Amino acid sequence: MANHRFSSVSEEEKPCCGISRKAQICLCVLFVLLIVVGIAVSVGILMWRQPPKHKEWKGPGTTAHFYEILLGRCYTYTQIVRPELRHTDCQKIGKAFTSAFLSKDPCGSTEQDYRPLMELTTQTVPCDKTLFWSKSSELAHDYTWVQRDMYTLEDTLLGYMADGLKWCGDAGSSEMNYQSCPHWREDCSNNSVSVFWNTVSKRFAEDACGVVHVVLNGSISNTFDEKSTFGRVEVFNLHPEKVHTLKAWVMNNIESVPSDSCSSSSVNNLKQILKTRNITFVCQNNYRPVRLIQCVKNPEHSSCRYNL
Amino acid sequence: MATLGLASSLPLLLLVIAGAGGARWRGEGTTPHLQSIILGRCAEHVALLNPEQGEKNCTAIWEAFKVVLDKDPCSVFPSDYDLFINLSRHSIPTDKSLFWENNHLLVTSYAENARRFVPLCSVLYGRMGDFLSWCRQENASGLDYQSCPTSEDCENNPVDSFWKRASMQYSRDSSGVIYVMLNGSEPTGAYPVKGFFADFEIPYFQKDKITRIEIWVMHEIGRPKVESCGEGSVKILEERLKEMGFQYSCINDHLPVKLLKCVDHSTHPDCALKSHWKERDRCREKRKKYTVTYWDQPGHHLPGLLSRP
Repeated sequence: MANHRFSSVSEEEKPCCGISRKAQICLCVLFVLLIVVGIAVSVGILMWRQPPKHKEWKGPGTTAHFYEILLGRCYTYTQIVRPELRHTDCQKIGKAFTSAFLSKDPCGSTEQDYRPLMELTTQTVPCDKTLFWSKSSELAHDYTWVQRDMYTLEDTLLGYMADGLKWCGDAGSSEMNYQSCPHWREDCSNNSVSVFWNTVSKRFAEDACGVVHVVLNGSISNTFDEKSTFGRVEVFNLHPEKVHTLKAWVMNNIESVPSDSCSSSSVNNLKQILKTRNITFVCQNNYRPVRLIQCVKNPEHSSCRYNL
Repeated sequence: MATLGLASSLPLLLLVIAGAGGARWRGEGTTPHLQSIILGRCAEHVALLNPEQGEKNCTAIWEAFKVVLDKDPCSVFPSDYDLFINLSRHSIPTDKSLFWENNHLLVTSYAENARRFVPLCSVLYGRMGDFLSWCRQENASGLDYQSCPTSEDCENNPVDSFWKRASMQYSRDSSGVIYVMLNGSEPTGAYPVKGFFADFEIPYFQKDKITRIEIWVMHEIGRPKVESCGEGSVKILEERLKEMGFQYSCINDHLPVKLLKCVDHSTHPDCALKSHWKERDRCREKRKKYTVTYWDQPGHHLPGLLSRP
């Protein structure tokens, strides 16, 4: 049995394997260098292979299955909802939509990004049939679901496709960011989604003609909100040579005491803005057909009953 | 001789090629882009509308559906959709089932996209097929975009078999109070004794899960009332439910639904609402009756309201 004994070898004393001390050091250094290079290369390869991480934002990410939903809605709209549009090329529209935001900074979105999409999707709403809304989404859409000859933006092709969806990309990646997307207030206002809605709202207003209508919420203090899309974008993009009148239906919550919201200062503000734009303003409190929609939820309310 | 034969068969050949002999079947042809629509609807249901129902594999669901697109359009049976249904079924909230006959659009409006009620067209499998049509060509593979068979052409057609199978499932998965909306202005009767509701829904009601059944007989505004509760085919339905041992009730022109119908008939006398402004004024001063609008009630029966002062 060999007697193995470990003893520290003084570096100065015993050269190993017949190579000089200097050569040993060089070999060690080379060896270490090789290892380092090897690690660096591996990490480099791994990093290159891995998709680059998206930026983190404060808002919810792209809707799951965004593209399938988008395409499916385009076909449902053009084949079933408005079959007069059945020759629309939904594939092209889907591609134009995504190329507006993929591989781009989601906080640097511009109207130009959506130009190709806009050019593919012209849709004329008949005169007198445009319905705007502000702080009254559910009510306005319940109304147009029944009154099918009136159109909100979400009853046009692009609005229908995008309604309720969220999307964003990233400058450093060709993928959609499903983790998070910029929040309008906490990240940036020029985000892909907000710019989309500003762009389509602008055109929706520009294309309107005749008498246009708006459903406003008379139960909040800023019934006409200058910061809303209606207040910022739509009112200012109506063409006075095409749109001669704007009729507001100011709806109060059914439970609240009816008030003359048409006389409120915020509605008056709207009236003044339209006056300077040469558009007549007409206001109606609790327009009956829309009131009936509210009654569906509150059938027992006194204003929804008959009088014995 | 050969040329003569060719010449005589040429018009027939042209006719066949041009498909100009009229559509083969009575129903609408396959909806274009069927796959995209179905996949999109599935994705939308899963991602946006019902994330709590858990992850459904839309691709697998489509693959299961697709199977019928290879079958002879007159040999598709409800059981051919078994896998499709098994992959796409989910629970239906109790007291939210709404069955109907002859008022599809009204039901979808009233159901408010499943916020108020969950009719068959708001359930995943129903949503996927809603308003669509599909069938294979009769003598070839590939879809027939010209026409598809209806029940008058042949019983075992893809679309009818789909709705039969979907109806059975919907019925089986329904619980609590069951609501049924019928059209009392339908000339052929509010309750079709042979129809999806009669043949593929009622027989599959789960007695132990159902508390009671409430029938609403709706009438078109300004159109004749063909049938009301306790009359004609509605009576047949009531008796059938009674025989089956269900507790049931029937309401004519259920108010919330009537209010909805009135939205686009708001100036019709049947839709005249009491004005809220006027109600306040009434307390302050005597007003002549003609200035106060009220529900017109000739011959109507609105239970629950007549007893109010």
